[in-house]
Amino acid sequence: MTEAAATIPASGRTAKGDGPLAVAWRRLKKKRLAMAAVVILVILYAAGIFAPLVATHHYAQTDLTQTQKAPSGKHWFGTDRLGRDLYSRVLYSVQTTAIITIITVLSGSLVLGVSLGLVGGYFRGWIDTVLSRVGELISSFPDILLILLLAATLRPRFLGIARWVEDTWGLKGMVASGVVDFVMLAVVFLPMSWFGTFRLVRGQVLAVREADFVQAAKATGASTRRVLFTHVLPNVIGPIIVSASFGVGAIAGSEALLSFIGLGVQPPRPSLGTMLSDVNLRSSGAGVSILRDHPEQLIFPALAVWLFIFCWSLLGDALTDVFNPKSK
Amino acid sequence: MLAGPPTGNRGDSDFRGDARIAPALFRPRRVFKSQTPLTSAAFRWKVPRMLAYIARRLLWTPFLLIFVSLFVFTLGLYGPGDPVEVRLGQNYTPERAERLRDQLGLNDSFFTQYVRYVSNALKGDFGESLRFQGQKVTQILGPKIWVSVQLNVIAFAISLGVGLPLGFYVAKRQGSWQDPVVVLTALVLYALPVFITAPFLVWIFALELHWVPTAGWGGFLDKRIILPAVVIGIPGIAVFVRLMRASTLDILGQDYIRTARAKGLSEFTVNARHTGRNALLPIVTVTFFSLAGLLGGALVVELIFGVPGVGRLSLEAITARDYNVVMALTIMGATALVVANLLMDIAYTVVDPRIRLQ
Amino acid sequence: MRRLLVILVTTLAAGLVASCGGGAKDTPAPTTTPPPARATPPGIAPDLQKKTGALPAGTEPPTGGTLRLLWSDPPTLDPALVSDTTSAGIIVEAFNGLVALNTDLQIVPELAESWTISGGGTIYEFKLRKDIKFSNGDPITASDFKYSLERALHPDTESSVSEIYLGDIVGAKGVIDGRGKVTNVAGIEAVDDRTLRLTIDSPKAYFLAKLTYPTAFVVSKRNVTQSGQKWTEKPVSSGPFVISEYKIGQRITLSRNDSYWGRKPYLDKVVLNLAGGQAMAMYENDEVDLTGVGLADLERVQDPSEPLNKDLVTIPPSFSISYVGFHISKPPFDDPKFRQALNHAVNKELIAEQVYSNLVIPAYGIIPPNFPGFSDKTQGLKFDPDKAKQLLSESKYADKATRPRIIVTIPGTGGSPSLDIEVLADMWKRVLDVDIEIQQVEWATYLQDLNRRRLQVWGGLGWEADYPDPQDFIDILFYSESAGNHGLYKDALVDANVLAARTEQDVRKRVQLYNEAEQRILNSAAWLPLWFDTDSKALIKPWVKNYRFTPIIVEKYRDVYILK
Repeated sequence: MTEAAATIPASGRTAKGDGPLAVAWRRLKKKRLAMAAVVILVILYAAGIFAPLVATHHYAQTDLTQTQKAPSGKHWFGTDRLGRDLYSRVLYSVQTTAIITIITVLSGSLVLGVSLGLVGGYFRGWIDTVLSRVGELISSFPDILLILLLAATLRPRFLGIARWVEDTWGLKGMVASGVVDFVMLAVVFLPMSWFGTFRLVRGQVLAVREADFVQAAKATGASTRRVLFTHVLPNVIGPIIVSASFGVGAIAGSEALLSFIGLGVQPPRPSLGTMLSDVNLRSSGAGVSILRDHPEQLIFPALAVWLFIFCWSLLGDALTDVFNPKSK
Repeated sequence: MLAGPPTGNRGDSDFRGDARIAPALFRPRRVFKSQTPLTSAAFRWKVPRMLAYIARRLLWTPFLLIFVSLFVFTLGLYGPGDPVEVRLGQNYTPERAERLRDQLGLNDSFFTQYVRYVSNALKGDFGESLRFQGQKVTQILGPKIWVSVQLNVIAFAISLGVGLPLGFYVAKRQGSWQDPVVVLTALVLYALPVFITAPFLVWIFALELHWVPTAGWGGFLDKRIILPAVVIGIPGIAVFVRLMRASTLDILGQDYIRTARAKGLSEFTVNARHTGRNALLPIVTVTFFSLAGLLGGALVVELIFGVPGVGRLSLEAITARDYNVVMALTIMGATALVVANLLMDIAYTVVDPRIRLQ
Repeated sequence: MRRLLVILVTTLAAGLVASCGGGAKDTPAPTTTPPPARATPPGIAPDLQKKTGALPAGTEPPTGGTLRLLWSDPPTLDPALVSDTTSAGIIVEAFNGLVALNTDLQIVPELAESWTISGGGTIYEFKLRKDIKFSNGDPITASDFKYSLERALHPDTESSVSEIYLGDIVGAKGVIDGRGKVTNVAGIEAVDDRTLRLTIDSPKAYFLAKLTYPTAFVVSKRNVTQSGQKWTEKPVSSGPFVISEYKIGQRITLSRNDSYWGRKPYLDKVVLNLAGGQAMAMYENDEVDLTGVGLADLERVQDPSEPLNKDLVTIPPSFSISYVGFHISKPPFDDPKFRQALNHAVNKELIAEQVYSNLVIPAYGIIPPNFPGFSDKTQGLKFDPDKAKQLLSESKYADKATRPRIIVTIPGTGGSPSLDIEVLADMWKRVLDVDIEIQQVEWATYLQDLNRRRLQVWGGLGWEADYPDPQDFIDILFYSESAGNHGLYKDALVDANVLAARTEQDVRKRVQLYNEAEQRILNSAAWLPLWFDTDSKALIKPWVKNYRFTPIIVEKYRDVYILK
């Protein structure tokens, strides 16, 4: 496999007391578009996390006297065929997306990718070989097929386990609230989300461990752990953030796709994908009809998906510049 | 996901990180550095190393495919749903199930079943579909793959045909208002989900303007290919605008372009012979990879437009537990990816002499 | 036909109207089927068949043209295996049997020109027509029928329905359970080339009607044995059309069969588009000739100023019921009070009106209106929140904390497949504070779990009549030994009535037995009946003439012609 040799950067710190993150943030603040994206994302995630407070209705609450209403003061985004408040449903769907993106990025890219990268890069030898080969193996699967396969085969197992846990310990609501779906989706996306970060971190470790300043640090008796954390991690934090921010948009899109075809989040818990498939697939593609007669049912959830992907891409773009000042 | 524009730092090559989930178009495996024109000397220097490298990759390929097939095979055997029960339906009795199991060889050990499957597969026999009884998997798959190839080639042509000239154009206009507008529009289009572009385009171009049919399939030369191809192609336009723009900007900054201008070559010659051609080189390599990955990417579009392609087939096969079809699809997909990877690596090393093979 | 069908009311919109036609045969067959319990002759009232276009008397319809319909991939094209409406709609055009239902839904002679019933109603002797041929020119004889029926019953054929439709024939069970060693069925005799004698185990009124089901159709032995499992790719058949092309996921083409014994079809071809797409948009763009109208478009096409409005026709209802089934032995559904409470908590009128725009009618019984055996005296459990609450408090599962988990399983893939389950969940929650989990599984797994009786509560399912006899509902769905009794409902009186009704020769008495059983089933809330089908809307291009919508699947494209 060809690999560009990793750069050997200077020590992780640039100026006194100024971490790479602080520098990056200062640069980012100068980019107006990127800051707009940040603001929108903050609003989206806040709206999602605080959905129960911001929503005007419960997501499953039907009102059969108020079906298919256009947006109004009472229902800001209108209502769907069951008279459910679209504004609230979009909010809870955004919550779903927010939770899944956060879980996946944290567990996949950050925890798994970084730690395995450190392990592989530091110990090298067979561990490194195995990890790299497994990663390559997974990369050689066609993505969509792998996601579909995992989602279709894992769900029943997950539900079984969750129900057993609930029944054994007398818990309630794990399944009903959609928690199981979140976990399942995170696991489904996991095989694809760790490898990028892994290679990033591993490459950096490989490069840094031979660098003079690391050898010097070692010579002075610094522990392995210390070397890794003070010299390696700060150097890869930028690339990791950039890669994560691109990844989040992709995960949001994939979640919508899976739910769209019925393999993701299950009703009654709403997801942007299910809301879209509601109007697109039911009645064998009524998308056009809905768009003509009740555009709000299609446009608001689509807008939310779009915002997730768009803002994260915009931000990822800006961050690429921010962490690579040489590029300008 | 959008690939970051080519930048100076080698570490960038990994910036696409998590992008694996996104359609393949958005994750070129490498982001390209500034290019120098290809010289024959550089090429000669590389050939023996490249051959060794290719040999190594080829040796690794069978192992990869074995792992892939083992994985899917395991899922098929231990995943939920029992094909025998599905086939027998209301007629299910334990004895009948047992008989059928014997008939299908499902009572043999895992290893025996797997070996049998692989040896048949090597002969090009992927077994029979469980869903369409009596239909060979290859019979089902063949036409669908051809459909998807046609659709994606057209979509790809649209992405390239619009994306590259536009990217080149705005790169030359850097600093004017067109540049940021086009770049931002590209990003807007890229993030637009097909759930909304598809019905919207159908509404405008089929129902209002009557230019094209709404759905169906008629092959390469049929009008029905236009809408789905455009819907698939739109995000790709965005990607190629950005790649081409970045690549061109890189070239424009190079000494030899300045030299060419200084020599008094016409602007057209500079554009065509020097800038354009060299800017295209890195993009050519990306296309191998993108094409292979695209096949699985058009699932929703195929659903909405009623295109009988691979995407729909894979979804139907997975949900109907037609594991023979799923396995064949996965193995073929993986093979395509591996080959595309290999081609891309070769193309990449040819294009960029400075890359070192490990 | 023995069919389970997913009643997504909106599948009508999928343009599968043609294939979703019902399943009941209605009109009493000569001498056999009981008249309905109602005073007015049952049958299918004339308004149940809708016909498009008409030609001035004396004019011969033009030959030629193609009818383009939306369809989806049929699970099988082998008549012996058919258990679903998608396959049946194609098979009845290409294959045929001794008797058939015409578009007026009467049992008429098809390949048999006449028959006699003797032996106290147990011996059926059919006289075949002269000079009947398969599409490859081979003559059809009584031994072809013997081969076809025995093949359908043979375990290697793996038919999941042969036992239901042919199991009454003496000796059939022996072949089914014969592990492939027994092939001869004593009750099927080819007396001579043109005489076929069928002997059944007891005088069952509905047997002739069962022979209109594809499992009893004739297939060519030469074709089947020579082509092996692939024979359905280009089957030799004897119906008005032949399947001339099948491209999976793309299209099926039916072409005129010039060897058909009767009047040949006017149409050259019927093209079934299998690729899916946006049905309504395809219709508007002239890509298909017929589509159902979904909820999303209903309002628009009913507007008289809309150009599509003039293509609008009404489709008669199919004889079907959709319901939510309860597994009677799985807690909390082992307590009738709990089931009754769930029944009383649902406001079906409101859902039918607001969610389904009255494309369904609330069901309070089991036998659909106008179906033989339907009684308007049957009383179901009506919406009554107070009674629901009271029943819940009296049940064993009044306490929410200790109530067992309730999992409603629905079939299908695709974001959110079932409107009614989501409304039900909300109504149960609000009226009774009962929480449920909705679990969606793929169709194949769903059927498998259903057949193995693993489901606790299931929705998204309907039952469509197979032949015009209440036996098809009450016996098949609720007799304790029946394969179709998925919830293990068991009631001594129901069982007794069902058994008695099987051979009861007095029609009135027989219907009464079924009605008693039905009332008892409703009282104990074995199901939550949801919807009966009602008139729905379809769009049909003005040049398609003489197309008839029927409440069941019958051969009908032969009469259609195109006049542009």
